[in-house]
Amino acid sequence: MDIKALKDRLFERAKKEGFESCEIYYQSGSSFNVCVYKGNIEKYQSSENGGFCFRGLYKGNIGYYFSEDTDIDADKVVKSAKENAEAITIKDKEFIYGGDKEYPHVNVYNAALEDITAERKIQTALDIEKYAKEYDNRITVNKSMVASGDSYVYICNTEGLEVSERTNQILAYVEVMAEDKGDTKEKGEIWLGNDMNCFEPKKLSETACNKALSALGAESIKSGKMKTVIKNETFADIFQCFVGNFYAENVQKGFSLLKDKLGTDIASPVVSVKDDPLMEGGYMTTAFDSEGVASYKKTVVENGVLKTYLYNLKSANVDGVRSTGNGFKGSFRTAVGTAPTNFYIEKGSKSLDDVIEAIDYGIYINDVAGLHSGTNSISGDFSLAAEGFLIEKGKITKPVAQITIAGNFYEVLKNIDTVCSDLKFNSSAVGSPTVCVKSLEISGK
Amino acid sequence: MLSEKTVRDVLTAAVSTGAGFAELFAENNSKNNIGITNGIVERANSGTNRGCGIRIINKERVIYVYTNNMTYNNLIRIAREGAAAVKGDTKHDIIVFNRLDSGNAHPIISMPDTIEKKKIIDFLMRGHSRASAYDSLITQTGLSYLDSVQDVLIANTEGLWAEDRRVRTRISVSAVASNESEKQTGYFGPGALQGFEFCENTDIEAIAEEASRCAVTMLKADNCPSGKMPVVMDNGFGGVIFHEACGHGLEAAAISKKASVFTDKLGEKIASEKVTAIDDGTIPNMWGSINIDDEGTPSRKNVLIEKGILKSYMTDRYNGGIIGMAPTGNSRRESYKLVPVSRMTNTYIAAGTDKKEDIIANTEYGLYAKYMGGGSVNPASGDFNFAVNEAYIIRNGKICEPVRGATLIGKGSVVLKNIDMVSDNVALAEGMCGASSGSIPVCVGQPMLRVQNITVGGRG
Repeated sequence: MDIKALKDRLFERAKKEGFESCEIYYQSGSSFNVCVYKGNIEKYQSSENGGFCFRGLYKGNIGYYFSEDTDIDADKVVKSAKENAEAITIKDKEFIYGGDKEYPHVNVYNAALEDITAERKIQTALDIEKYAKEYDNRITVNKSMVASGDSYVYICNTEGLEVSERTNQILAYVEVMAEDKGDTKEKGEIWLGNDMNCFEPKKLSETACNKALSALGAESIKSGKMKTVIKNETFADIFQCFVGNFYAENVQKGFSLLKDKLGTDIASPVVSVKDDPLMEGGYMTTAFDSEGVASYKKTVVENGVLKTYLYNLKSANVDGVRSTGNGFKGSFRTAVGTAPTNFYIEKGSKSLDDVIEAIDYGIYINDVAGLHSGTNSISGDFSLAAEGFLIEKGKITKPVAQITIAGNFYEVLKNIDTVCSDLKFNSSAVGSPTVCVKSLEISGK
Repeated sequence: MLSEKTVRDVLTAAVSTGAGFAELFAENNSKNNIGITNGIVERANSGTNRGCGIRIINKERVIYVYTNNMTYNNLIRIAREGAAAVKGDTKHDIIVFNRLDSGNAHPIISMPDTIEKKKIIDFLMRGHSRASAYDSLITQTGLSYLDSVQDVLIANTEGLWAEDRRVRTRISVSAVASNESEKQTGYFGPGALQGFEFCENTDIEAIAEEASRCAVTMLKADNCPSGKMPVVMDNGFGGVIFHEACGHGLEAAAISKKASVFTDKLGEKIASEKVTAIDDGTIPNMWGSINIDDEGTPSRKNVLIEKGILKSYMTDRYNGGIIGMAPTGNSRRESYKLVPVSRMTNTYIAAGTDKKEDIIANTEYGLYAKYMGGGSVNPASGDFNFAVNEAYIIRNGKICEPVRGATLIGKGSVVLKNIDMVSDNVALAEGMCGASSGSIPVCVGQPMLRVQNITVGGRG
């Protein structure tokens, strides 16, 4: 498929239709996915997929139209985009960006990954399943999966921007169920990267098994306020629910309580937050955002003080600042919004053991459920089903389940008294070390 | 969308290595959405998704390939690529297609592409005006409209040829109430398997006012207390509890892996005798309805639980095959990019005989959950969690002060047995359900009911 020919057709038609400037954002990719179950391939998928979004500036507003059909009639695309532009009444100025002088070099495509055969991926999935099954006779494996994919993005516009980037990744996932004395626990573990040499299937399986086995026999505990340690990846998942509050567009619309908080303390002094699109090996590493703005690393929170919001071109223009290169689309289908890249709380120096040792009575949370429903992203309130372990006299004593943890994100940020050294990213590129919170509301028996 | 010859050749290529079964699913899906924030039209987007997926099943192995390059040569190429992952011994005759005439139980009056955007915007603006005028504490409103026209073609090596058109329209209204330090949101998202007539028949002002009332009420509310207590769940979206805690566990995909607490329980008592539960994809123009499922099986009404006895699971062809059950018309997928599996359509707990007033009057102390939020469940253990969007304390048989931030947790199998009162006012409510075959439109529903004892999580 010749995307440049499509681009030429669309740009020519748009000019005739009265667009002042316009842009094409094209994305394509292929993916492979194999799941094994009881030593057999249960699911085998392969795909290739692509599509484009046309957008153009018409009488001061930008109209969009997307399509997976690249043979589509240019007239239909341009006319629909024009109708959409005419419907919009927002006054904030949107931009078709001419591009930056220089773009950073990022290492996001590993050619060696393309040489890994389907057979090897299938064998890896089988190995993962075998390791997990052999680890303990109380384990059954619900799912063992290996998936890989590559993606190509091309952005070109009438203002002079023309950039492209190719990325590839591979992931492995195992989900196991531990069963003992009528009690069952289901846990999963994921690995994501673009270098198969860094992947240890046995370690993945063992981690998942240990998670499930250690949670067996868990019981609820008495309700009350408790000192709470939250595991790195678990706190990353919670943190992710509230990342939208750092977007300038949400602040400007009044959807974020971080409004008017620049330069003030929003977190405990042990908390610093970065957004680093150039991070080596990051899942969201990229040389430019969906508007073609060159990427760079930002300090969002420094020792508890809010330093910047995340901006795209439109919200940066409203505040009279430079875009932070966080103008991203969810897919080629959607309009440009805001999104973090590799967004994380910086690690501290203490180990998890140090933190637990110092606690006389508390709880260590290593799993939460209900993040999409139990969090109010605007108010910061959360109430989540949780699992973990009781901490008594500096030691982890027994597994705990059937409890909820409840609190408020903004209060939690201020109540973090320790940040550990074990920074870990979740699969959405939000990262956190294990954190210790002075007090959270635990609801159980 | 595709010619008979193309489809026949592609399916033949897909079983060329001896697979037992192959199926082609092609779709063209046009979408429009418009979003209004604080009375300003911020978003108007439209576009088309189209593509084709080929599923090959040989014994327990499932191969799925998809593309949106719909040329004859490319479709044959990907069918062969999929076939290469199978070594089977099934021989197929030349495929002769029989066109399925399932009729259309869901007539559409105003197709979305005939409606001017201005008309839609005017409709949404009426909601904005009412929501923002409700109270000075309302600081933001958000309204959105979306429509989707999905044309599908499903054909398989057994000679099935089925086509269907699904026209859906949905709106959402959210209102944010705030004071100096806090914000609370009220939200409703009604929709239907209809065109623009859905908007014409919807009282958007009433919905907008209710969203604002909910936000203001919750802003003024204290934190919900925590602990175990009786919970009265109101009708409509309260049915999300059954959807999450039980419905997912009755899907054949969970049963076939014995990953559900309801595995091997057909004919057994799994719920209180007050509970009868139904999945019905045939309700005319209902949001979760379908003429045919995404394997081409006509939709139907399935009684899942009758007076507490488990009567049926919801099946798809593959997982149904493993557990020895015929398809029930529940195989669904978001798009051609996903393998269809057993999913719900419109699922609800049927009317009981108790009176609404009596349920409240007979509760000495507990929580009244007027509007439930979303939730999720682990099918293996049945552990669930739900947010409550609007809740009140019941004291001495009366609904008292509002409380916020409540979450309900528990086990589906336990809660089903603890339902001790069921009223007669069934209502359904619309939602999107996410699972392995993507995000699909469903309805949840129930009459007002009471659960004797649930763990309530709150900060109070």
